[in-house]
Amino acid sequence: MKSIASRSYFAMALSCILLFGLLTFLVRYALYADRWVTFSGSPHVYTREGTLDTGVVKDRSGNTILSTAHGKTYADNALTRSATLHLLGDREGNIPGLVVRTYAQLLVGFDKLNGTSAMEEGGGELDLTISAPVQTIALQALDGRKGTVGVYNYKTGEILCAVSAPTFDPDNVPDIAGDETGQYDGAYVYRFFHTTYTPGSIFKLVTACAALENLPDMESWSFTCTGSTVINGETITCPRAHGELSFREALARSCNCAFGELSCTLGKRTMESVAGRIGVESSLSVDGLRTVPGQFDLSGAGDNDLAWAGIGQYTDLVNPCQYLTYMGAIAAGGAGAQPYLVSRAKCGTTVKYTAEAKQGPRLLSEDAAVALQQMMAYNVETIYGKDYFPDLTICAKSGTAEVGSDSNTATFAGFILDERYPLAFIVVVEEGGAGSSTCAPIAGAVLKGCVNVLDGE
Amino acid sequence: MEPIVNLFKDGMEELSLLTIYGSVLRIALPVLALFVVFRSARSLLTFRPEPEVWAWLRLATGELLPVTHWENVIGRKKSADIVLDFATVSKNHAVLTRQDDGTWTIRDVGARGKVQVNGKLVGYAPLAYGDTLSLAGLDMVLERVSGEEARLQANARTRAGKGNSPGLTLILLTVFQLLTMLSLCMHMDAEHLPKFLLAFGVLIAVGWALFFGQKLIRRSGFEVETIALFLTTVGLAVTGSKNPDAMEKQLIAMGIGLVIFLVIGFSLRTLERAQKVRYLAAAAGVALLLVNLVFGVEQYGAKNWIYLGGFSFQPSELVKLCFIFAGASTLERIVTRRNMALFILYTGFVGGCLVIMNDFGTAAIFFVCFLVIAYLRSGNFAAIGMILAGVGLAGLLAVRFLPHVVRRFSAWGHIWEVPLDAGFQQTRALMCIASGGLFGLGLGNGWLKYVAASDTDLIFAFVAEEWGLIMAAVMIVALAVLGLFVVRSAKVGRSSFYTIAACAAMSIMMTQAILNVFGTVDFLPLTGVTFPFVSNGGSSMMAAWGLLAFIKACDTRQNASFAVKLSDKGGAAA
Repeated sequence: MKSIASRSYFAMALSCILLFGLLTFLVRYALYADRWVTFSGSPHVYTREGTLDTGVVKDRSGNTILSTAHGKTYADNALTRSATLHLLGDREGNIPGLVVRTYAQLLVGFDKLNGTSAMEEGGGELDLTISAPVQTIALQALDGRKGTVGVYNYKTGEILCAVSAPTFDPDNVPDIAGDETGQYDGAYVYRFFHTTYTPGSIFKLVTACAALENLPDMESWSFTCTGSTVINGETITCPRAHGELSFREALARSCNCAFGELSCTLGKRTMESVAGRIGVESSLSVDGLRTVPGQFDLSGAGDNDLAWAGIGQYTDLVNPCQYLTYMGAIAAGGAGAQPYLVSRAKCGTTVKYTAEAKQGPRLLSEDAAVALQQMMAYNVETIYGKDYFPDLTICAKSGTAEVGSDSNTATFAGFILDERYPLAFIVVVEEGGAGSSTCAPIAGAVLKGCVNVLDGE
Repeated sequence: MEPIVNLFKDGMEELSLLTIYGSVLRIALPVLALFVVFRSARSLLTFRPEPEVWAWLRLATGELLPVTHWENVIGRKKSADIVLDFATVSKNHAVLTRQDDGTWTIRDVGARGKVQVNGKLVGYAPLAYGDTLSLAGLDMVLERVSGEEARLQANARTRAGKGNSPGLTLILLTVFQLLTMLSLCMHMDAEHLPKFLLAFGVLIAVGWALFFGQKLIRRSGFEVETIALFLTTVGLAVTGSKNPDAMEKQLIAMGIGLVIFLVIGFSLRTLERAQKVRYLAAAAGVALLLVNLVFGVEQYGAKNWIYLGGFSFQPSELVKLCFIFAGASTLERIVTRRNMALFILYTGFVGGCLVIMNDFGTAAIFFVCFLVIAYLRSGNFAAIGMILAGVGLAGLLAVRFLPHVVRRFSAWGHIWEVPLDAGFQQTRALMCIASGGLFGLGLGNGWLKYVAASDTDLIFAFVAEEWGLIMAAVMIVALAVLGLFVVRSAKVGRSSFYTIAACAAMSIMMTQAILNVFGTVDFLPLTGVTFPFVSNGGSSMMAAWGLLAFIKACDTRQNASFAVKLSDKGGAAA
């Protein structure tokens, strides 16, 4: 009997396996329950249509722009619906509402202790840093053209505007698949985060930064533009001969010849390292939205290619959101705040999340930043004019990127140098013609809207 | 006046039933469950295994050796029950066995002609009190335990349930059952109320009847039944949440299960009866499986159902009971006939039938049970390893060549990649477990009840969603406690028949729980086996109560179990 009794410990292994399995599961629950519960299709969290079954999304002024309980209900007017669509996602899931999904766990009030039982006590609330009125201003200013407009506070990181066009009214969905006019091409793409553009001359700010940091005595640097220059057997051209130029004038007049030469003087390695530090090729994560990385690839590039790359052509690509943070960094003296979209998440009356301003990495030296600030302010004073930006100290650079034989992407990026309105901006208009004349009015209207919003807070 | 009245009204609305539920019941149910299971577990796992003395062996030196089992190996080996540390004595020399009528026999097992009774060489012989037993020249006399001595001994042993009043535990369980019923009534449609009242009323009454019935025959160990009743309660509430109309069927099944429990329990009181039942049961197992093969109907992928007069039934569940009878064996048989060929053949037949029926989950249960029995009987890991390798190979071939098996295994470990497809059940299960949190969304408030077979296959998730993860964990712990208790009791087992049967029964229960729970949470492929007592299913419920009888039969604590006869003179005074 004794030997049988000792053999019975073999059977005890089964009880132990059962208990050990339970323990393992409890650990897995502690680690992953939040993922399980917010996985798409989770029955207590999503409706049959796949939308979150609780909560509202509000803009920075408290305007409800989405209510998700029992299906999605968008804002009252069509323009706001269209202007905020890419942030919120459409009903069909063609545009994923990634922000809401990222915070779903907090919105449903899930915690590992109480599960989703807080949903019964009232849904969640997600407060965005976006201003719905500014979004509509931006969409109106784009006036049917494709592109994107982004504005963020480089001191706090709040994104006030991140519009993408073309868009549509989710309550009145057009026949996008059957559209032949091309007006809805890429309507599902959130251009601000998920597209890269050939930057054109706004990229000269990167080359300028590299020059300021790496070449001695840029203040006394000069260049004589004859309208074209030959580098390694190929010609770089300017629209016209700019004559003798200081560094400041070269940027203001956006002289291709000067920046082509500068780029070659700096060399591949320096250009690559500066572009890399500025983050052109990195991907940012903004509340669940990951930016598409840009491109600055000089492998196999000849001197002429290097020159064009320094002008923002060649194979250069930048992501609008990422480039916006470079503007913020210049404005903030070398390192701006990291951008974010969600300021607060609540469930019922409990605040589950509050955003905090986070300093981003240093993208350029303070000296270079200050120098660029002055040069960009000079651009506005002398070239773009202050008509669109009354009473504001604007620093900016425009670009007209050639992307086809007769197709230009108009770009315009910069910031307001003002303690009260620490805003950086970027405007991209596809097939937009000349940079500043297309984009400056848009930037002006949007910044005016932002200033009004900040004044009202 | 009016404002005050309105204020009062508002206050009352605030205090709606749902609010009460939210704050009180949600916590109260798992806390009560914890108490019930903890009290039972403490009693079952911390008792001192006190041996029963059935006779004495007086050596020539005057030394008295207690005979503490019905079956005793006498030998030089340390693991012998009566150790005679003399060089002339064999390691396993003889087996001293107590027969049901109180007489003793001695059998020479390894000594080859060195066993003598009253000077006469024997291979197998009865041994009367006062007879001189001589092992390799070492003389000893078998002496009776007198009636007075037996009474004293019984009184000296700790009575089952001492310090952990089973009555109090049952009262706690009753409160738990009432609150469970209340909780269901609150969340389900009012039309179902009578069904809930009836079902839980009957359940509570049955529990107390069982308790007082055992009191009448002076048995006080009620922890095993308490755990079973607790699990049955959870199962009944799950059924009530998913399909209130099925509760009646489940209750009837529990009733039949209780009858099986009592019949098997009483039949196990004497070994002779158990041995007789043994062959009958083995034959019944074969018959059940054959009937199943001929008349079986496919349901949920396995052809293991038969329909009888409007009732569906899974014969393979009852075969589990037969299998235990076939596998359990007395020590004398184990030591003399080492050969397990017949049992292996029997297992092969059962396994073959199940594979034909496409019921791989149940086949796995029988296989584990077989391994446990085989090891208990042989103690031989090498042989077990060979069997494992053989079956593993067969399993591989099955997986390789049977497409439906492949399909079942395909999602295993990858459920999140196919959440709408093969991983649907498990992903929903995990989502719902998370939604429930530690305290659940409330009985009847779950979503899993809309998933097919969730009240059987996904029971762990079902309970976690509606009652909370704590309750689901308690449910598993409760079952595991039964398993641990069996092993603890093995030390003071009367006969290896009981020990093997109890280990086999518990290994079936544990394997079912392992396959069921681990399948739900994607630790193992989903095999669709039931969780004992909890899963909705008549045959499964009956089998679970039947298995419990074997566990009762190994409970040799003083006055513990109705399935164990009180030692000769009627046991301890009340």
